Amino acid sequence: MVTIQSVLRDAWFAAAAVLAVAGAGCGGGGGNDGGASGSAAQFIDANHYSAAAGASLSTPSEATGVTHHTLTLGGGAIAYTATAGHLSALDAGQAPEASIFYVAYTADGAAAATRPVTFFFNGGPGSATVWLHLGSFAPKRLATGVPATTQSLPFPYVDNAESLIDTSDLVYVDAVGTGLSEAVAPHTNQDFWGVDADAAVLRDFVLRWLAVNGRTASPLFVFGESYGTTRVPVLARLLETAGRRVNGVVELSSILDYNSNCSVAGGTPTVDCAGFLPSYAAVGDWWHLDSGGAAADLDADIATVRGYADATYAPDAAAWLANGTLPPADHLASLVAFTGLGTATWQQQFDMDFDTFRHQLIADTTLGVYDGRMSALVGTPLDADDDPSNSFVAPGFQSGIDALLPALGYTNPSTYVMASNAIATWNFSHGGRALPDVVPDLSATLALDPQLKILFLGGEHDLITPFHQTELDVARLGAGAPLALHFHPGGHMTYLDDGSRPLMKAELAAFYAGAR
Amino acid sequence: MRVAPFIPLLALAATAGAAPLRDPGQPPAAAQQAAQAQNRARPASVGATLDAEAEAHLRASFDAADSAHRGTLSRAEAQAGGFGWIANHFDAIDTRRAGRVSFDDVRRYLKSRGAGSATQ
Repeated sequence: MVTIQSVLRDAWFAAAAVLAVAGAGCGGGGGNDGGASGSAAQFIDANHYSAAAGASLSTPSEATGVTHHTLTLGGGAIAYTATAGHLSALDAGQAPEASIFYVAYTADGAAAATRPVTFFFNGGPGSATVWLHLGSFAPKRLATGVPATTQSLPFPYVDNAESLIDTSDLVYVDAVGTGLSEAVAPHTNQDFWGVDADAAVLRDFVLRWLAVNGRTASPLFVFGESYGTTRVPVLARLLETAGRRVNGVVELSSILDYNSNCSVAGGTPTVDCAGFLPSYAAVGDWWHLDSGGAAADLDADIATVRGYADATYAPDAAAWLANGTLPPADHLASLVAFTGLGTATWQQQFDMDFDTFRHQLIADTTLGVYDGRMSALVGTPLDADDDPSNSFVAPGFQSGIDALLPALGYTNPSTYVMASNAIATWNFSHGGRALPDVVPDLSATLALDPQLKILFLGGEHDLITPFHQTELDVARLGAGAPLALHFHPGGHMTYLDDGSRPLMKAELAAFYAGAR
Repeated sequence: MRVAPFIPLLALAATAGAAPLRDPGQPPAAAQQAAQAQNRARPASVGATLDAEAEAHLRASFDAADSAHRGTLSRAEAQAGGFGWIANHFDAIDTRRAGRVSFDDVRRYLKSRGAGSATQ
């Protein structure tokens, strides 16, 4: 065991040396000829990684595959290094807690003191960070053509004109029990399957990555999607508490409070669904079923419905939940006009959950959970998982990551687990609540660091984390909070939309410039 | 006619195993039921209540660092106990130059900066 670990450590140090040489070469000469290192470090990791609850790794590896690349962006060439492999999160006594898999894209020759580094986290819990890695702002991305469902597999892996590599180094991190990340003995994956334990071990990973890579002075950003937007506020608070400044938090497709979201993952509503109504209207607008607005201008439609949701629908829905009474007929007529969803469906389930909405809007048709613009006829292959917006893209992301890792010099026989069963035994309790509310975490983080900036992004056609619910949740922070919110046509993985990704890139660039 | 919310919730949870992972996915049924009971008595926090919940997170970190249960931390104890933020701001927090700070000292410092909403 000692020999295996020492060999792997040596391999890691060799990889680190390659990185250091590459950085020095570009920084000193100003040229991007790549002659400083030339070779790539290839690594075959013999460990078997498991996403099972009881899994526990006895011989963590810190070896990495290192490859060198160039991306042409906005007329300039950016030379960057991709590093793929594991780094152990260490506890307070410097003992390894978990072997965390990551892929880092770092620009060559940048000044560590001023070059931002961003850590990305998908959610689930139980989801690997494959969506943000392969779909959003890395130097390359999978071209899906969403919301169309015509692109055949494998999705083309193309240079990303909207990559954030011109702004920040990018580190894609798999939580414990997802991707290729696993707890280190005597810990098991289950030890880190809870809101607080997960954020703590990811804090330890981030601090270790920054220390090992000489980045303790770099501006730091954390970027979460979906459950990752629950994870990242807790992580940011823990980092600031530990004394590590966080410059910016980016929240994409947010669930900040599981108690205010009326229909978490399609559950039966127990609070009013006003946060969902504008998203229903946007989806109705897409399918030309609404008659509420003067057509074309989606933003104007949304503004109208947002106001109606808060002033009229919220109290109506609360009354229906409390005693089953329906509002006057003209209220029902407004809802039908806004969304295109029929009167009978509103009468049956007045506090409208998204599963009812997406199955009832169009006869014999299932609309996507993640993107209500995507559809499948009931009984067709795209409807097999009851979510065409997931069924269409998931196989392409699995084959995409399976092909990418060896190309980045990292080879391992284990299955890269895109979705584990962590949620079944996840400890959701947090802050004295059975289900997490991380608005207090954002508040505490802002108290520790008044310079922190927070950006919320999302898709107007996302039916699982509706944008207006985010607006309602963050309003709790008060009018003076340093927040920016931008929502665009698109689904949960809003960056998949070729029209919205450039808008998001511009908003991110402005956000990073203002959060230094 | 509407049915009571508990019944379909349980029914959904029972069949959730067959469905692919959603993100965010449904928490375990027991957590959902506990939350429903809790939320009736504890609505979403705003204003002073939100500030108190934010402060509770910081106090929990302070108490975790205070392993000797003295009610105060030295700069070194704060650093070693995972509350590096206190160590980094120690001189500004320790206005009495006592060499140790209490959580009330931390609160006073946060309030004196007039930033954020927690502890105001």
